[in-house]
Amino acid sequence: MQRRFPNKILPYILVLPSIVVVIIFLIIPTIQSLYMSFFRVSPFGDRLFFVKLYNFTKLFKSADYIHSLLITLIFAAAVVVLGLTIGLLISVVLNQRLKGLNYYRTLFIWTYAISPAVAGTIWALMFDPSSGPIVYIINSLFGVKLNWMMNGNLALVIVIIAASWKMLGYNIIFFLAGLQTIPEELLEAASIDGASSARKFFKITLPLLSPTTFFLLIMNMLYAFFQVFGLIDIMTKGGPGNATEVLVYKLYRDGFINLDTGFASAQSVVLFVFVAILTALQFKYAERRVFYG
Amino acid sequence: MKKVLVFLFIILLVTVALSKVTITMWHAMSGSRLPAVEAIVNGFNATHPDIEVVAQFTGSYAETLTKAIAAYRAGDQPHIVQVYEVGLQTMLDSGAIVPVYELAGPDFDWGDVIGPILEYYSVNGKLYSMPFNSSTAILYYNKDIFEAAGLDPNKPPTTFNELYEYGKKIVESGAAPGGISFGWPAWVFEQMHAYHAQFYANNENGRAAKATEVYFNKDFGVDVMAEWMKWAQDKVLVYGGREYSANQAFLSGQVAMLIQSTSSVGSIESKANFNVGTTFLPRIEGYPRGNSVIGGATLWVMKGHSKEEYEAIWEFLQYVMKTEVTMQWHKSTGYFPATNSAVKALLDEGWFAQHPNHLTAFLQILSGTRVPEAQGVRLGNFVAIRDVVDSAIEEALQYNGTNYWKEAKKILDNAAEKANTILWEYTMIYGK
Repeated sequence: MQRRFPNKILPYILVLPSIVVVIIFLIIPTIQSLYMSFFRVSPFGDRLFFVKLYNFTKLFKSADYIHSLLITLIFAAAVVVLGLTIGLLISVVLNQRLKGLNYYRTLFIWTYAISPAVAGTIWALMFDPSSGPIVYIINSLFGVKLNWMMNGNLALVIVIIAASWKMLGYNIIFFLAGLQTIPEELLEAASIDGASSARKFFKITLPLLSPTTFFLLIMNMLYAFFQVFGLIDIMTKGGPGNATEVLVYKLYRDGFINLDTGFASAQSVVLFVFVAILTALQFKYAERRVFYG
Repeated sequence: MKKVLVFLFIILLVTVALSKVTITMWHAMSGSRLPAVEAIVNGFNATHPDIEVVAQFTGSYAETLTKAIAAYRAGDQPHIVQVYEVGLQTMLDSGAIVPVYELAGPDFDWGDVIGPILEYYSVNGKLYSMPFNSSTAILYYNKDIFEAAGLDPNKPPTTFNELYEYGKKIVESGAAPGGISFGWPAWVFEQMHAYHAQFYANNENGRAAKATEVYFNKDFGVDVMAEWMKWAQDKVLVYGGREYSANQAFLSGQVAMLIQSTSSVGSIESKANFNVGTTFLPRIEGYPRGNSVIGGATLWVMKGHSKEEYEAIWEFLQYVMKTEVTMQWHKSTGYFPATNSAVKALLDEGWFAQHPNHLTAFLQILSGTRVPEAQGVRLGNFVAIRDVVDSAIEEALQYNGTNYWKEAKKILDNAAEKANTILWEYTMIYGK
């Protein structure tokens, strides 16, 4: 049994700063956007009209919003799956004893350190339909012109690749750390018993990695839902048409460009509830397969 | 004794520094336009020791407007903010601005401002914001590519049909992979309406009363869109993004023609390694003649500052309108010189003779008719509506079938419905 903290006030003082931060930056804005979602607001905020559930009904009647929801689900699923599988693959390779390993690790990890804006710019330049080197190479090799400004599906694919690439470094760091906690003895014992590498990987490494994988699953999902805004803003601005307008970008557009604060607040409430449900489901079902040693 | 003198001197410096009125200006001029803005501000500060104007680049037009609104709501607004033409109705209704005519003394000569610009930003004959960077769309073309395709480089296309024909010839001859690209596509679409004397929205484009319905899904708009879709499918039209990214395609020879703001004249001429030609926008035959419409941005003065600061702001705005300053601004960017006296001075100097491309936009707006259809559209939350139209254009240009007109009609009807909802919501806030 743990003993009680000797000082009764000290623990409260110690957690106070984080509670204050959470209240100011999380709780208050959340309540505020819930409140605002029932209003129609003039751009300069000088006129406020109570509109009941208008913003929400408008949301679910809007074909654009449903489309955006669909795109977001595809986007998030693709980013999570791509990011996790490729991240795991690379980390397994990086976990071998290779010459100059530290350099490779750094090379793979640095993508996480650059900002979304820079990442977006790099990809936008590489895939620029008129002057991008990748477009040029693909055109001279296969004779295919990749103009994603004129092709919504292609734009979505490119944004997915860029977003997964951006998150790859993060995934590799955690997978590597996870891989290094797997006891050598287990793998050695399996080798002595004559297990193939593939068998070792699927029967020992993967189950032992499951806590890391689960953590990354949640982090990648949150990333795909909330943090890709910068990337999309720089690369496609949600276009062409609204082929790459994921929920968080649509929210930004309606709130900050179209200056429809109430509508954007309603969107943020829906997005919040939606992601909360998804996360809860993952904890409920995916966590059953997680093995915490 | 010496110490006392030094001390007094410091006090003097500090008081001089403190007595300076500081004016902040938020603007959206990036790239080669940024140094041009800085030149104006530095010139003003150097000649006005008691005023310090601090110009700050705050992102794109949309971002600058958003930031200004957020700052206003937080009570920390700049003195002057540059707002693009689609923000007009929003600014007029905001209750957050001081109209420039109220700042001006009785002796200020408004008549000197170029007519179409004055009309665009006036309500009941009074100017609400200070003209600064006004522009219109023109057609740029690459004379070298024209020559390579066997076309006469001195005979640019004047109609939609010619443009399509030339574009096809260019693409087929391999002189360039694409025919034409647009900057600001939704704006070009608006331009086409004004240029053919067609209303874009009801209530005289929202100038007689607040607009409640858009007209861009009527026959004319559908004609234009269907035509563009045909061009896109034959690779004559290459979509080039929503703002200035098409310039890159034009400069790198990927397309032979470009419809873009005249404000790009300066940067295109200086960067192009080919002969640049400019000409009027192409017309669709059979429609009446209107005029191309003013775009770009103006300087808005925000509420909530002291009287002393407003005097300083007016001092600065007058400086911006000075003949030499306007001339310099025009020369380094391509934006219209905002006053008649500046135009006259430029003519006298022979500037236009040496730089004919700088004259094109000017001749275009002066040669059109001054009909209400071409005075400029004023819509509530125009920013959102332009966004809707941009999306519609992007959707239309991806079309693969052959029934252009029907598809264009469908896409534009859908867009018009969204735009009308935006207008309805706007009148819900501000009344009709």
